[in-house]
Amino acid sequence: MSAARAAEPALHQEIDSLVARRLTELKITPAGPSDDAEFVRRIHLDLTGVIPTSRQARAFLDDRAPAKRRRLIDALLASPDYALHMARVFDVMLVERRVPTITSYDVTTADWRAYLTEAFAADRPWDEMVREILGSDGAEAKRPAAVKFYLVRDVAPHSLTRDVGRLFLGVDLQCAQCHDDPRFADYLQADYYGIYAFVERMKVHPVMPRGAQVAETAEGKTTFTSVFTAKKGETNPRLPGGDMLADPAPEKGKEYVVKPGPKERGIPTYSRRLKLSEQLPRTETKGFARNIANRLWAQFFGRGLVHPLDMHHAKNPPSHPQLLDRLARWMVEHRYDLRGFVRELTLSDAYQRSSLLPAGAGPPPAEAYAVAPLRGLTAEQLRWSWLQATGRIDQHYAKLDAAAQKPAPPKKSEPAKTAAPKTDAAKTAAAPSSGPEPAWKTRLAANQALERLSATLLTAFAGLPGQAEGEFQPVVDQALYLRNSEKLLPLLADEPGTTLARLGAMSESAPLAEELYLSVLARRPTPVETGEVSRLLSESKTPAERRETLQSLLWGLLLSAEFRLNH
Amino acid sequence: MSRRRSNLAVSRSTVSRRTVLAGAAGALGYGALAYPLRAASAEAPRKQLLLLFLSGGASQLETWDPKPGAKTGGPFRSIATSLPGVRIGELLPHSAKIMDRLTVVRSVNSNIPDHFQGHYAMQSGRIVPGYPVLGSAAAKLLERPGDMLPGYVSIRRDGPKAYTDIGDAGFLGAKYEAVRILNNRPPENLLPPPSLKPAVADTVERVRRAANDRFGRGRAVAPLPSYDTTYEQAKVLMQRREIFDLAKESPADHDRYGKHDFGQHCLLARRLLQSGVSCVRVTHFDWDAHQDNFYWHQVRCAEFDRTLVTLLDDLEHRGMLEHTLVVISGEMGRTPQINNLGGRDHWGRAWSVAMAGCGVKPGLVYGSTNDTGTEVKDDPVKLGDLFHTYLTALGIDSHGMYEIGGRTNPVADPAAKPIAPLLA
Repeated sequence: MSAARAAEPALHQEIDSLVARRLTELKITPAGPSDDAEFVRRIHLDLTGVIPTSRQARAFLDDRAPAKRRRLIDALLASPDYALHMARVFDVMLVERRVPTITSYDVTTADWRAYLTEAFAADRPWDEMVREILGSDGAEAKRPAAVKFYLVRDVAPHSLTRDVGRLFLGVDLQCAQCHDDPRFADYLQADYYGIYAFVERMKVHPVMPRGAQVAETAEGKTTFTSVFTAKKGETNPRLPGGDMLADPAPEKGKEYVVKPGPKERGIPTYSRRLKLSEQLPRTETKGFARNIANRLWAQFFGRGLVHPLDMHHAKNPPSHPQLLDRLARWMVEHRYDLRGFVRELTLSDAYQRSSLLPAGAGPPPAEAYAVAPLRGLTAEQLRWSWLQATGRIDQHYAKLDAAAQKPAPPKKSEPAKTAAPKTDAAKTAAAPSSGPEPAWKTRLAANQALERLSATLLTAFAGLPGQAEGEFQPVVDQALYLRNSEKLLPLLADEPGTTLARLGAMSESAPLAEELYLSVLARRPTPVETGEVSRLLSESKTPAERRETLQSLLWGLLLSAEFRLNH
Repeated sequence: MSRRRSNLAVSRSTVSRRTVLAGAAGALGYGALAYPLRAASAEAPRKQLLLLFLSGGASQLETWDPKPGAKTGGPFRSIATSLPGVRIGELLPHSAKIMDRLTVVRSVNSNIPDHFQGHYAMQSGRIVPGYPVLGSAAAKLLERPGDMLPGYVSIRRDGPKAYTDIGDAGFLGAKYEAVRILNNRPPENLLPPPSLKPAVADTVERVRRAANDRFGRGRAVAPLPSYDTTYEQAKVLMQRREIFDLAKESPADHDRYGKHDFGQHCLLARRLLQSGVSCVRVTHFDWDAHQDNFYWHQVRCAEFDRTLVTLLDDLEHRGMLEHTLVVISGEMGRTPQINNLGGRDHWGRAWSVAMAGCGVKPGLVYGSTNDTGTEVKDDPVKLGDLFHTYLTALGIDSHGMYEIGGRTNPVADPAAKPIAPLLA
């Protein structure tokens, strides 16, 4: 860190002063800080995609160290689960659960997941990732999985144009496909076709026996006509707000490295695709830094400073213009360091507020960031949290450890123990030299069995293909699934090593209630809740009834809004 | 033409305006229309939508727009209908008798000769992807507070054609995605697992409710009721799962709707509409006759024609047609040119769509094609105009906007508009 920069306040402090300034203007009193239980659950969900175990929650709640929140943030950021979680988030963001029309013309889920996870584990800067994703034709020796972004969209130029704009620049130019957008003066048909020109020469090139690559031609003019005015236009590649590229005139006969043929994948001498990958992920590109800053902000605060995330335009200004500028500038100054950015967001008081409203106050507007939002868990967070709450993750890793006959196996997500293991965790993530395989890779492979166990759960909660993850929108099929699906019952069985088995071995109802609440809700029960547990247990006469009661208690809490939401 | 159900007494004094008109048609030979089963209700009944989707693309020349004698006309004759001067294909003898109650557009130019695009575009009224289809849109726009049943149900047989399942709800989200009924099987998870004791389910529900009460205190309510509501809806669906149970319909209804897929699906559609589901789509397959077009259309039309008339008749009788718009469309028509295999191919330039029921003018044939059916001659209709028309017929402002998640989107293509002459 340079001396000049060291003098500046840390980003999280600037976030707080800018959010506070706006709250004063709005005359809104913010909620108080989250209590430790709110915080420990929220930070685990946001940094590792899963609620803490009862052990982790208890350890954090009982930790008296004043700096324990910062320590937990750093420990979680250093764990392999951070990379796994961010990979899931960016998979959903970039792919939006699409499958190509011909499903085999795709990068496998496993390869794509590994690609993203490795990128987050290795802290690859965002501009570098985007350069790779937009530049890939799937034929690279290194990291060919980056071509997924193109393949899941069938390499269809309209679909790519829209999503390059939305996902990397924060502008949804869809309406401008057919005419200048009447709603916003800054969404022009010429902008749409400027991006379109970059991608329109590409197409799918199937590869035997499965998969596909991207082929590209060396010619093709990009023209368009407004359906409103019938005005015609022609363009070379151009990013919104930028200059039009002058494509070099190809030397006759030297247009191609590989000429397209019935079996040959066309590779032009001059590739507009590579131009896009070179031109777009740059600080000078309008919207590039702001888009990623705004998207990550939304991930942690439930809403973008610009909202919706792909509606950056003059008529939709940010709720906190100065703050968004500052976040974007930080990105640039820190070379698009996503992990460092996330750390600053989570260190802020604004992030660490309680979701309880100040006494007597009505709900403040969401864009004031006065109170922690109630966010639905994503399908992925929900799946992993079910597995965690029911004890399946611990059980699975204990089995694996036993099979490997390690004497003192480290458990999944253990870094959340706030005391010593922080450095160990940092080591496992940063230094794959400790084993033949980096920690994230081992974890991805080992998690597969747990994913199979919860496959229908994910399906029931996954959003629609091709749609961005929107606001929390629960649907009746999900309630029916959680109440009635036979496929869910295995997760609620009391096999050895599960939460239910652990609870079943406890005779006193007070510690049992505590273990139940810590396991499912990452907090200790209130006296009323302990009372409910002990009353229900006292009603069960036989051991079989007692087991059923325990199952009902666990199941009921798993269906609660408190479990369903990140709060 | 005898009355189909002679055992049902007809009381003219209780018939609606529409059935009086239809009664006049009855005098011309079509009967059994005037038997209102509608319960008296202070509240105006909700408008409802039934889309009969002829997947694969029905031939306009063998159905609504015959060209007998033309070189493109094929072997079938045309027949007179209950509308003086209007003739349709002889494969639709039953429909011909109720032409005075149908609204047919003969001048559709969607210009999409493709299954995938056509399925999406004809249902969403747009070419650009990502918009909700008619059933999802209408489910959203017709929704009332307190609705417990799903807004949109899609019925088809299992198996063919991925393109029938292109995303329904678009940016409206999963709540407005169709509940899919395949082969008349009810949706999943309407019953608790057999191994689950009722006592356990009760305790689960008690624990869940108590936990939600506690959590809600002191928090912004926004997402909490929507989550609770899904459990209320689940309970209602479990209690009312018989709405998906065709065995509850009389053997007589099974017979007259037909035992084939389409008949059974239409019977279920009527049952669901009657139960309060606002939009239903029934997909009728196998119209994609690249070979032996004329044989295939005989087979398909036989099923379609009789069931359609039974259905409309039944809806009318129950007083449902007054507030139900029935749309009959496929993703495209078929080429006037007959290919070497006796087939007709994909075609979007000049074809037909039909409607009946609420909001549209009965007994109207709109637009025309030239003598060989190769081009639209009068009153060309774009797919965006049809979408506007459907919504307007349902009492929805088709120039309105969706406001979802801070995003404004036009309900229907702003470059298109409702077709005024079609609207009642």
